Amino acid sequence: MKTLGTFLIASAALMAQGGLNPARLGAPPTDTWPTYNGDYSGRRYSTLSKINQSNINSLTLAWVYRANGAPGGGGGFGGRISATPVEVNGVLYFTMPDHAWAVDARTGREVWHYAWTSHGGDHIGNRGAGVYGNWLYFETPDCNLVSLNLKDGKERWHKPICDLDQYYFGSMAPLVVKNHIITGVSGDDLDRPGYIESHDPETGDLQWRWYTVPQKMGDAGSESWPSEEAMKHGGGMTWLTPTYDPELNMIYVPTGNPQPVIAGKARPGANLFTASVVALNPDTGKMQWYFQSSPHDTHDWDATQTPVLFDGEINGQKRKLVAQASRNGYFFVLDRATGKNLASAEYVKINWSKGVDAKGSPIPNPAKEPQLDGALVSPNQGGGTNWPPPTYDPDTGLFYVSASRAFSVYYIYDPSDKPEGWGGNDRGGWGETMIQAIDYKTGKVKWSHKWEDGGRSGLLSTAGKLLFAGDGSGNLVALDPANGNPLWHANLGSSVTNGPITYELDGTQYLVVAAGDTLFGFAMLR
Amino acid sequence: MRYGIFVAALLVAPAVGVAQPPAGASEALEKVCGACHSVETVTGQRRTRAEWQESINAMVARGAEGTDAEFALILDYLTTQYGPTAAPAAPAAGRGGRGPAFSPGPADKQVVDEAAANRGRKVYAAECITCHGTHARGSERGADLVRSEIVLHDRYGSTLGPFLKKGHPTQTTPAAQLTGAQIVDLSHTIHQEVYNTLRAALQIQNVVTGDPQAGAAYFNGAGKCSTCHSAAGDMAHIASRMDAPELQQRFLFPGGRGGGRGRGGAATAAKPVMVTVTPASSAAIAGSAITGTLVHIDDFNVALRDGAGEYHSFKRTPALKVVKSDPAQAHHELLDQYTDRNIHDIVAYLETMK
Ligand code: HEC
Ligand code: HEC
Repeated sequence: MKTLGTFLIASAALMAQGGLNPARLGAPPTDTWPTYNGDYSGRRYSTLSKINQSNINSLTLAWVYRANGAPGGGGGFGGRISATPVEVNGVLYFTMPDHAWAVDARTGREVWHYAWTSHGGDHIGNRGAGVYGNWLYFETPDCNLVSLNLKDGKERWHKPICDLDQYYFGSMAPLVVKNHIITGVSGDDLDRPGYIESHDPETGDLQWRWYTVPQKMGDAGSESWPSEEAMKHGGGMTWLTPTYDPELNMIYVPTGNPQPVIAGKARPGANLFTASVVALNPDTGKMQWYFQSSPHDTHDWDATQTPVLFDGEINGQKRKLVAQASRNGYFFVLDRATGKNLASAEYVKINWSKGVDAKGSPIPNPAKEPQLDGALVSPNQGGGTNWPPPTYDPDTGLFYVSASRAFSVYYIYDPSDKPEGWGGNDRGGWGETMIQAIDYKTGKVKWSHKWEDGGRSGLLSTAGKLLFAGDGSGNLVALDPANGNPLWHANLGSSVTNGPITYELDGTQYLVVAAGDTLFGFAMLR
Repeated sequence: MRYGIFVAALLVAPAVGVAQPPAGASEALEKVCGACHSVETVTGQRRTRAEWQESINAMVARGAEGTDAEFALILDYLTTQYGPTAAPAAPAAGRGGRGPAFSPGPADKQVVDEAAANRGRKVYAAECITCHGTHARGSERGADLVRSEIVLHDRYGSTLGPFLKKGHPTQTTPAAQLTGAQIVDLSHTIHQEVYNTLRAALQIQNVVTGDPQAGAAYFNGAGKCSTCHSAAGDMAHIASRMDAPELQQRFLFPGGRGGGRGRGGAATAAKPVMVTVTPASSAAIAGSAITGTLVHIDDFNVALRDGAGEYHSFKRTPALKVVKSDPAQAHHELLDQYTDRNIHDIVAYLETMK
């Protein structure tokens, strides 16, 4: 944590009671879950083991918080908590579009609720909040970054992060790295360029912006676009919270699909840096390296799945790794210092690729691009997986992902020379869902647990030899991470809608998960 | 789809007695759609039945889970409550000042007046088209207006007017002489072109491109379709029961289940998945197998309704034997076998069965 040293001193004043000690962001979470992924690595692995295989059947419901009841609630009719809560000093902070809550992490009692007055934007979901010192940060669908006081939820300021008239919207959980509040943008209706920004934690002022697509011919990546006009409208939204390696001082940003989404005719080429994992310097926003998960995507397969950081051994060599189970059905392992590809393998059976190129990126089969009369493609638009966070368990060396093997038919709706927006879509489909446990060394699926009835949730693994997931019937399920056998379940009445988290307070380990508009707190109360 | 999705709402006077939603429909909407996004995302919009069907199909492809009955209810509900002729959605009371529309884009987005857009189209043809193209997507001579920030920031001519009046080139009338009304009309036309690029504004073109003879050969040969279906029997007149895109979806994804997701096109009642449960020989209802329609199954429980309509529920244990039988299983397996050529040939063949 040397890199945080000076910052720690400078911000000591911020760490009044209730605030977050920024050193906590780098350490494995125990009494806190201070960021979207718990820590910077994106592993969603907890070293806590008070809840474990031998006592899981004593896990009991400790509290329930229904966000529905709040005045002006983002709950109500159809609300969904897709946010991973952050937990700091015994308080949980979570969001829904236009709303933020603070809830007692021991009792589920509301501490405060904040409602934003919206000017529109897509309200599809909000992934959560970032915390720095005594301040909370979250994005609104109408393109604002809002900073609230942790203790009472009073607004300090709000700053625009995108232009609503261009159909951008905010949904990502901001990432706090040193004195940077890193924000992403969502939106794939009009053909706009994606970007990621860094803001000053005190003032909200812009520190840097990095476009995911080149802005002029001659810029890095422009060789993969036919024209400046195409790449400046080339998409690549930053829907998901990046991960961070403090030693290498790199953030790992997963980028969205290119635009127009389905009809890719007017953007021949690989369309860099869309559908990629990109390493940036968090202080400057300068790109260090990139790896493209889906060159020239035409299936809405963004690569906005968590780039998970861990150290491992590949071919006898110790390496700093980043792994991604990408929406297109491929699992990738890269050296996270250089971006060099070490493994590419299908984690579900797919039908659209002709293999991988020398750099490890898949080679799309043009026949499986969307067609006027339809092309049967697997996975479907939902993808081999989607945004729900995966987990890596260092005890088993396995990477777990909520996966789906699905088919649908992709159509071109707009056959003109200059399609815009989507220009097509996929329809119908059949599929099945499962948890895949992937051996990172080879990319091979070690075990697969198929759900009877669908289900696609975020995952959590713990040192208690437990893997938590949600099925399609509203069950929160604990699986054996060694083989996928279900060990315990509780029916929440609605499917799990976020990634479960865990923390220990006063010697009690809690497990918190959202299903629909409700947060459930489980605990080992004995 | 001729008009943008926001067009119809203003044009048609709000219906006086709004149709009542079908019973259970809002619950189905909440359950199926609310699992992924707030229902306001859906209900902030106005669409025709066909457009709502298209949206539902898109959501199914993205993993929306529900039974055919639920999807049918949702379609009815959305069409009656959020169709083009439905009354504008009232902002829900006490919702922190949130406006009615939570579709993408700003809440105060321009609502296209179709008559004005049609008038504007004439001005556009006279003054702009040679440079900006038929659908305002630009040409070598003029910028893409659909992607223009001046257009996206415009409301009813607010930024377009001042921009043109600065002396923008036109084809006949000097820009300064365009009337305020003409500018408003042009604004509607261009916004309509923007909305026409949105997902919901587009449709499947033509899926009948295959060879019916090759389709017949596949049907009776490699595809083994004829082992379960016959052209003169259950497939007779199938092409007059549904349009070609629907037909393509129906044969690829009949019933549409498996993981609870996916179904092809509009609902016709699917054959149910059956299940046979055999309790352990030591159990109270020892040994005798019970067969019925599968009601629910997960890793821990299974429930069925038997031939007499009785509901049975079981805890799953290693001793409890559960055998599922999905009538569409053969169809699921075919998905790994078809080439796209096979698919187009089959559609062409089924299309002959009018
Ligand atoms: C002789 C060709 C020509 C004609 C006719 C013409 N334009 Fe343009 N227009 C252009 C060119 C070239 C540009 C890009 C350079 C510029 O901004 O002036 C442009 C730009 C624009 C822009 C700004 C796009 C941006 O950069 O955001 C708008 C809006 C626009 N035109 C609207 C119109 C409308 C409406 C008409 C008809 C009333 C029209 N134009 C007629 C050539 C033309
Ligand atoms: C093993 C038996 C079997 C085979 C083989 C089979 N089908 Fe089917 N098919 C079914 C069943 C059963 C259904 C009804 C499924 C349901 O409703 O859930 C069905 C449904 C359909 C439908 C939809 C009918 C409607 O009215 O909605 C079409 C079209 C169809 N099949 C065409 C085909 C074609 C073409 C093939 C060969 C490529 C084929 N089937 C192979 C059993 C089979």
